[in-house]
Amino acid sequence: MTDITVYEAIPARVKAPEPARPRLLLIGSALASAGVIMLMAGLLGIYIKTRADVIASGETWLPSGTTIPLTQPNMMAITLIFSVVIMVWAISSLSRDDRANTYIALGLVLLMGFAFISQTAYLLSIMDMGAADSPQANLIYAVIGTHLAIVGAAMAYVLVMGLRTLGGEYNARDREGVYGAALFWYVSVGLYMAVWFAIYITK
Amino acid sequence: MALTETRPDTDETLTSSLSANPAATTVDGILGSGDHKTIGRLWIGFGTFFIVVGLALALVASLELADLGALAIFDDADQLTQLWSLGRDLLLFAGLVPVLIGIATYVVPLQVGSSSIAFPRGAAAAFWTWFVATDVLVLAYIMNGGPAGGRLDYVLLWTLALGTMVVSLLWAMICIATTVLGARAAGMSLERVPATSWSFLVFSVSGLLSLPILLAELVLAHLDVKYGFLPTKADRTVLVAILDTLNLAPAVFWVGVPILGMAVDSIGVHSGRPARFHKSILAVIGVYGFVAYGADLLSFAWRGRPVAFDNGLLVVAILLAVVPVLLTLGLVGDSLAKGKAKLNTPLIAALLSGLLLLVASAGAILGLVDPFLGFIETVSGNTIDFSFDLVGTSFYEGVRALVVGAAVLGIIGGVHHWAHKIWGRSLEDRLGWLSVLAAAGGALIWGVALIVGGFLGQQRPPFVTIDPDNSIEIVSWIGVVGIALLLAGVLLLLLNVLGAVAGRVGSAAEPWRGTTLEWATASPPAAGNFVEAPIVRSATPLADLDPSSGVVTSNDTSDDEGAAS
Repeated sequence: MTDITVYEAIPARVKAPEPARPRLLLIGSALASAGVIMLMAGLLGIYIKTRADVIASGETWLPSGTTIPLTQPNMMAITLIFSVVIMVWAISSLSRDDRANTYIALGLVLLMGFAFISQTAYLLSIMDMGAADSPQANLIYAVIGTHLAIVGAAMAYVLVMGLRTLGGEYNARDREGVYGAALFWYVSVGLYMAVWFAIYITK
Repeated sequence: MALTETRPDTDETLTSSLSANPAATTVDGILGSGDHKTIGRLWIGFGTFFIVVGLALALVASLELADLGALAIFDDADQLTQLWSLGRDLLLFAGLVPVLIGIATYVVPLQVGSSSIAFPRGAAAAFWTWFVATDVLVLAYIMNGGPAGGRLDYVLLWTLALGTMVVSLLWAMICIATTVLGARAAGMSLERVPATSWSFLVFSVSGLLSLPILLAELVLAHLDVKYGFLPTKADRTVLVAILDTLNLAPAVFWVGVPILGMAVDSIGVHSGRPARFHKSILAVIGVYGFVAYGADLLSFAWRGRPVAFDNGLLVVAILLAVVPVLLTLGLVGDSLAKGKAKLNTPLIAALLSGLLLLVASAGAILGLVDPFLGFIETVSGNTIDFSFDLVGTSFYEGVRALVVGAAVLGIIGGVHHWAHKIWGRSLEDRLGWLSVLAAAGGALIWGVALIVGGFLGQQRPPFVTIDPDNSIEIVSWIGVVGIALLLAGVLLLLLNVLGAVAGRVGSAAEPWRGTTLEWATASPPAAGNFVEAPIVRSATPLADLDPSSGVVTSNDTSDDEGAAS
């Protein structure tokens, strides 16, 4: 009979070193997020003021013949809200070093992003509104287009951080890059909610 | 922290394998560098060049405007507007702000004890993006683009180039702010951050929160032009108003935020007595940034229109702007009074930049008199037969000229103060004095001439004033002399720097030492900046240096009194 020695888990005596430059990506992401929030705030501010001026002059805001259906904007909102939940899943998985779930979750966030862009393109096609038709249309395109660019930037950020995680740079001990990407993603989703209310709901 | 330490023996195998690699050329070192010192030098060099170009264009436009009633240099008024607008774009977005960012990119990582700037490749990308965008902007103007341009494609190019410049400046500001917030040395809490680094943090954050609104305006302007909503040149002159928002008081005070921080550090070093009330100074600079940020937002909402008293917040911003400047000067007055001040270029430039900022802030208050009287008329129902009639005049341009002068002086002072750290050679002090006196005198003359012109009814540039009694013409010519002097001051600085880089002027010996961390390393610092990561226990870490050990360890002197000791 062979003697089997069972070793209990030996607690680490030395704490693992912290990342060399902690929090930099997260701080940078927060600052960039503040910048894009102000960009959209500026555009929406001009949009709301121009709309109020047009309505006060007795005209209708949307050009005649233009309709904004609610189904697509609502679906887009639901898509992005789901993406937030999935991003939380990604972070939670990463904090447990569950890499398979992290990759699946980050991939799904990107898929949701593509779905959002695709739905926006479809919505704009059925709105049947040329950018050169009226100043209102021009303004609506400016707001929606800028937000789409922000979502595109957020997707690129998630992709890069996902690839870095794949390369082993981020793990349970150092999650900063994914946190930064998640923060920027949440901000882009929050900004859509403002666009959704200002443009699609109030029309 | 061991400041001087023998390097460990190098692994010979590694050394031989490294030496087998081809050495980086100068071009590689510049184009491919993520070193904050190289990037900082690039920002400072090209930014100073564009300050010269911007002031030269302002000089030409002013010469044309001074010759009232006729166009002597340009064929038509549109050309004058184009040139005036180009000079204004370049002075702010290609000159003053980039040089300030350059000083921050170089000095801030050293001051906070960091081995590099946050996101070094991002910082390099920001510079090169700005550089290309600035060249494209100039090209757009040359091809008859710009706000009053005749060729639509190039007007579109102008909006794209200006937007890209703003994005790259914002990118650089993110790198600077992140360095201060996240890459500080151990023990350096935010309240122990040197005034310069703190002021650049405030400058960057307020820029990050206000410049995106300018970007929003540019997005809309681009689409308006692209889709034919501004079809004629006359329609497109509204685009000039987009830049008014940041160029006129009170929003332009934003440029003054880092000037205060640099002045505090410089006065502390050259008086031999670091500022005593360090935390209070940081708080005051923070308030100034907050006021400037609020003013930026309100100015964007106001979109270049003259201040009106019914916008109470804008009035409050103008009134408040003078207080932090006054308080900062008062708080550093203690260093001057109790220290042994050396009257050299950095000290004089720091003092005069603060004073010019004070004059500008106080001068802006004069613009509130008319709206205030209008407000009293409305409230009381009585007619008041008194008005300065400053709306649409050169008055606010005068305030802007004073702020520009303060920024130029701050830059001259800052470059002289850190020249040895940046290029390894100090600048020639007598030449520095000349540049400071020329710039200070020029800015004061230029600003006051425009303010007085405003009271006499001189139209805002680029509009030509009809002047029946020649009083405005005299004031205009005095203003031209002022711009020429300011330009001469910047040229002298450029000459001084070029001479020092070539080894012709200045000295290789370290001219002075401060108590902040940038003075704990070589001039210029080697890669990585510090031999060991510094540990900080007060706002003046080098004053705590134990001479026997060469290690920064001392009692905690984070309180104001301790900081002074």
